Amino acid sequence: MSTLNVANISDGTDSVPTGYVVKGSAKSWVNLYGKETPYIVASMNVSSLVDAGAGRYEIYLTSSMSSSNEYAITATKQDTTVNTDSTCFDVINSRSADAYQIISIEDGVSADSNNVNAVQMGELA
Amino acid sequence: MTHGHLWDRLAEAKERLDPVQSKYRIMFENPDDLDAPAAIMCPDPNWMACALAGDILPPIETYQRDALVPDGEPKEHPYAKPIGPMTEEEAIEYLIMKDCPTEVWRDYTGNRSILKIVPVEAIPTNRSFRNAWKIKQEIAA
Repeated sequence: MSTLNVANISDGTDSVPTGYVVKGSAKSWVNLYGKETPYIVASMNVSSLVDAGAGRYEIYLTSSMSSSNEYAITATKQDTTVNTDSTCFDVINSRSADAYQIISIEDGVSADSNNVNAVQMGELA
Repeated sequence: MTHGHLWDRLAEAKERLDPVQSKYRIMFENPDDLDAPAAIMCPDPNWMACALAGDILPPIETYQRDALVPDGEPKEHPYAKPIGPMTEEEAIEYLIMKDCPTEVWRDYTGNRSILKIVPVEAIPTNRSFRNAWKIKQEIAA
């Protein structure tokens, strides 16, 4: 694998410093199936999923972030089986430089979800 | 030739290697949290592909040393020289040492079985009472 060392990237009209692209890209992402026997459907920079209870999913990273706080993370669920009148959302319950826990909430309690997605942005270690 | 950053190797491997869904799951209980249900670890398929292919993942010792590094300080594992290919069984052992709490696989001295590697078929698909699951204890006759 070869490396391009350039200060800027241009499409011929507009140009942007390479740092915007490197620092602005997702450092990990995951799409997991959270019912029956949970498993990871697709991912980048993830080593394992831990099913820690109903609706509780821990994601471990292969390449850690630089610190436990200096990154942004968001998680959401896609679930066609939930009651659409209920309140459904995913929250990040805990986080460190190399792992985080998602809790999938439905009607105020943690509940398994078909399809949980998370994206992590920030500085790698 | 330099081996670069771990993330770069993972990105390159994702383009090159087909994901491998493991046929194993790792069940464990945390002895420091007796009320918590049994946890079930599932290896990531891209990670497993990297482990089987070799020359991508760093030595497990680098993660263990990094666990002692204060938050925000430079870490060793992203820049460590990668190790060779593993079997799936070796990869599972590596993953236990990387992602399971040390209280589970290294420090526990009790009699209860708190760590088991099982085929995925052994995990119930009916998740009723999931928050009360514990590892079944087999008592010798």
